[in-house]
Amino acid sequence: MSNKSIDLKLYWNKINYAFPILNDTIFSDCTGSEYDEVQQIITGMGIQVKIRDLILIHIEKYLRQHVAPSFWSKFVKVDEEVKGFQLFKSAVNDLYESVSNFSEMLRRLSILNSSCCDNKPIFGEKDVILGFKQLIRATLLSQLPLDYHVIINHFYKISFNVFDNEYESSDMGEDVMCSGCWNEYSDCNCAYIVKVFHDTNRKLMDLQLLERLTGQVLTNFIQLRIETHIQKLCDGTFDVSHISFLENWLDTTVMSWLTRIYCGGSSKPPPDDKNTQNAILQFKKKLSYYLYHSYTKLRIEQLFNIIIEYPESQPAVDDIKMCLDKTDLRLTLCKRLQSALETRLLHPGVNTTDILTAYVSTIRALRHLDPSGVILETVTKPVRSYLRNREDTVRSVVSSLTEEGASSELAEELAKFAAEADGENEKEDAWDEWNPDPVDADPKVNSNDRKANDIISMLVNVYGSKELFVNEYRTLLADRLLAQSVINTEKEIRYLELLKLKFGESQLHFCEVMLKDISDSKRINALIQQEKNFEAASKNFSSNAMILSAQFWPPFKDENLELPEEIKQHFEAYTKSYEALKGNRTLSWKPHLGYVNIKIENGSKNLDLIVSPFNATLIMHFQNKPEWTLDELHQVMKVPITVLRRKITYWQSTGLISEKCTDTYVLVDGSDENKSNTTTNQVQEMICEDDETESVMASAHDQREGELQVFWSYIVGMLTNLDSLPLDRIHQMLKMFASQAPGTECSLQELRQFLDTKVRTHQLVLQGGMYKLPKT
Amino acid sequence: MKVTIKSWTGVATWRWVANDDNCGICRMPFDSCCPDCKLPGDDCPLVWGACSHCFHIHCIVKWLHSQPQQQCPMCRQDWKFNNK
Repeated sequence: MSNKSIDLKLYWNKINYAFPILNDTIFSDCTGSEYDEVQQIITGMGIQVKIRDLILIHIEKYLRQHVAPSFWSKFVKVDEEVKGFQLFKSAVNDLYESVSNFSEMLRRLSILNSSCCDNKPIFGEKDVILGFKQLIRATLLSQLPLDYHVIINHFYKISFNVFDNEYESSDMGEDVMCSGCWNEYSDCNCAYIVKVFHDTNRKLMDLQLLERLTGQVLTNFIQLRIETHIQKLCDGTFDVSHISFLENWLDTTVMSWLTRIYCGGSSKPPPDDKNTQNAILQFKKKLSYYLYHSYTKLRIEQLFNIIIEYPESQPAVDDIKMCLDKTDLRLTLCKRLQSALETRLLHPGVNTTDILTAYVSTIRALRHLDPSGVILETVTKPVRSYLRNREDTVRSVVSSLTEEGASSELAEELAKFAAEADGENEKEDAWDEWNPDPVDADPKVNSNDRKANDIISMLVNVYGSKELFVNEYRTLLADRLLAQSVINTEKEIRYLELLKLKFGESQLHFCEVMLKDISDSKRINALIQQEKNFEAASKNFSSNAMILSAQFWPPFKDENLELPEEIKQHFEAYTKSYEALKGNRTLSWKPHLGYVNIKIENGSKNLDLIVSPFNATLIMHFQNKPEWTLDELHQVMKVPITVLRRKITYWQSTGLISEKCTDTYVLVDGSDENKSNTTTNQVQEMICEDDETESVMASAHDQREGELQVFWSYIVGMLTNLDSLPLDRIHQMLKMFASQAPGTECSLQELRQFLDTKVRTHQLVLQGGMYKLPKT
Repeated sequence: MKVTIKSWTGVATWRWVANDDNCGICRMPFDSCCPDCKLPGDDCPLVWGACSHCFHIHCIVKWLHSQPQQQCPMCRQDWKFNNK
C-alpha cells in the first residue's frame, strides 16, 4: 500500500516536473527523453485526459493571474509620445517572451494530447498551439482596460511620422531636426524606431493579436491622418486637382506603411498568404472610401468659394464631380451649398449685380459638375425666388447683357449663344449615351429642358416671362438713346441682332423701329438744317431733334414744361420745315426731354455744361431777372412747385443760385468776391454733367396700372349687375371674360392692389370682404 | 450772368395729320404700320381718298384688289386717290 502511494507520489512529481504549470511556474529543464518516460507513466495509468484537462485549467489560471495583468499594467495614460512608444514596445516584448516560455511545455502537451485520442477540441482548436493562442487572446481581451488605445496610438504615430518622412524626404534640406523622430540629426532615432516597430508588429502578428488589438486604433489614427493631410493640402487652393495626388499618397505612404505592419517589415505581402492580402485589401477599400469622403466633404464646405472663382477653380469642380460618384454626398452638397448661398448672397446687403454674377458662375460650375442639371435646379431655387423679389433684377440683367467691357460675362454669353446657334448639330446619334435622371430629380420637368437651358434663358426665367424682359430692355434702350449725345447705333444694332436670335424677331420689333427712328432723325436733321427758312431761325445756336415713332417707344413720363420763347419759336420753325419735308405729318414736342449744351459766363466764372431742358430753362430765366420766388417760376414754367424745389438744387450745387429766404432764390454774382468761394482760381473751367439720371420712361408699375385699367369697365359692369362680389369671384369672372387678349393676365395679388387703389380713390367700397360700387 | 446756348437737342414724336386715329381696315393706329409692314412712317404711308377717308396705302390697295368694285370701305363711294 505504502509502496504504491510512494510510487504515485513519484509519478506525480515527475508529471509536475514535465508540466511545471501544475505548480504555477513555467520553467523546467525536462528533456525529451525524460518526458518520454513521463508520457509512458501517464499512458500506463490511462489518465491522459485527466492530466491534460488539469494542465489546461492551470494554464488558463496562470495566464489570467499573471500574464494578462502584467501586460495591461503597461497600458497607462501617458502624454509623452516617446514614453508611450517604449511602454507599448516593452509590453509586447514581455508578452511575447512569456508566451514563448510556454513553448517547451506546449510541445509536451501536444504529445500528451495526441495520445488522448478523444478528439476533444482544445479551446475550439484541434491543435494545442493554436488553442493556446486562442486562450491568450481571450484572456487578454477579457481584461481590456479603458485607456488601452492611448499608448498604441503613440506608438503608431511615432512610427508613421518616421515613415511619412521617409517618403517626403526631398525637403529635409537644412533642418537641424529630423522631422521623423524630432531629434537632432546627430542622434536621429529613426532607424531604431523602424526596427522596433517592425519587431513589435511581427510579434503581434505571431500572436495573432495585431488585428484585435490595433485594428480600431489604426483605423482611427489613419483617418485622422487623412483628414489633416487633406486639410493641409487643399486649404484655399482650387486651381489644382488634388485627387490623383491624394490617391498616390494613400497608395505609397499609408498603404505601404500598413503593408509593413501586416507583413512584419517587408513592403510586399507574401504571395501565398491570402489572409494577409485580403486584410490589406479590405483596409485599402475602407481607407480610399474614407479619403474620398473627407475630401469631398471639405470641398463641399468650400464650394461657394469654388463657384465664385469658377473658371479658375475648374480642377476642384472636376474633383468633386469624380468623388460624387464614389460617395453618397449629393444630398449634403445640395443642402450645404444652398445654405451657403442663402447666408452669403441672399440678403439685402448684396448688390443685385453681384448676386447675378454669383448666379451665373453657379450655373456654369454646376453645369460642369452635374450635366443633368438636377443639382443646379435644386440649389438655385432660393436664388431664383429671391431675385424675383428684387426690383432691379431685370434691369441689371439687361444692362449687363448689353454692357461692354471685361466684366460683362453675359454679353459674352450672348455672343456665344449666337455662335452656337449657327453650328448646332443634331444630337440624335447620342442615344447610347443616355442616362436616367438622378433620383432627386423633379419628375415634372423634362430632362431635356433642364439640359437645354442656357445661362441667359435661366436668367430670363427667373423673372417668368420673356415679355417682361424685352419690355425692360426697351425702356433701357429708350433711356440710353435719349440720353446719349453721341449714339453708337451700330453697336446697338449689333446687340439687337444678338437679342433677336435669343428672343425671336417679333418680340424685339419695337426696338428695331426705335433704332431706326434715331438714325432717321439724323438724316432729317441734316436735311432740315440745309433748308433756307430754317437756317434763318437757327442763327444763334444749332439745334437737333430726335423724331420718334410714339407707338413703338415705351410711354414717356408725362411732364409739362414751358420753354423760353426763343426756344419755342425755334421748335415751331423746325416743325414747319418738317411738315414741308414730310407731307401730312407733323410733330408734337416733348419739351422736357433731350439735352442742352450751354455756356454760362458769370463774372470770372465760366461753365460749360450739358443739362436737361428743364435746368436750361430755369437758368435762362435767371438771366433776365436775378431774383425769383418759386411761385413766379411756377407761373412761367408751368411746373409744380415741389418739382421746382427739388430740381433747383442742381443749380444751388454749382454755386450759381442760392436760397435767399424760404422759396426765394437769387443769382450768386460771380464778380462779388466775398460770396464766391472759388475766386482763388481766376477762371475756373468746370465741366459737370447733369446729375439726374433717372429714367424718363414711365415705370413698369405705372405701365401695369395702365394695363389693368382695361379691366375697370368689366369690373364696373359686374358690380352694377351683381351688386357686391368678393375678390376671388371678380378674379374668376375676369379670367373668364376679359383675359382673352395676350398680355392681360392678372394675378389675384395684382387685382387686389388695383382694387385697393380704387377703394382709396373712392371709386369702390370694400365692405366685409365684398367689393361694391359706392352709392351715388 | 450770360447764358449762351450752344446747341439744343429736343425730342419730338411725329404723327399723321388725319381725321381719325386708326386705319379703318386694319384697325391699327395710323402712326403705327399696317400688319404687313415692319416700319412706320415713310415705309407705310397713308393715302387719302376723294371721299376724305384715309387708310394705310397697303391696306387700301389690298382691299381694292379683293373687291370687284373700287369702293371706299367706309362710305361705299367710288374710290379715287386724292393727290393733294
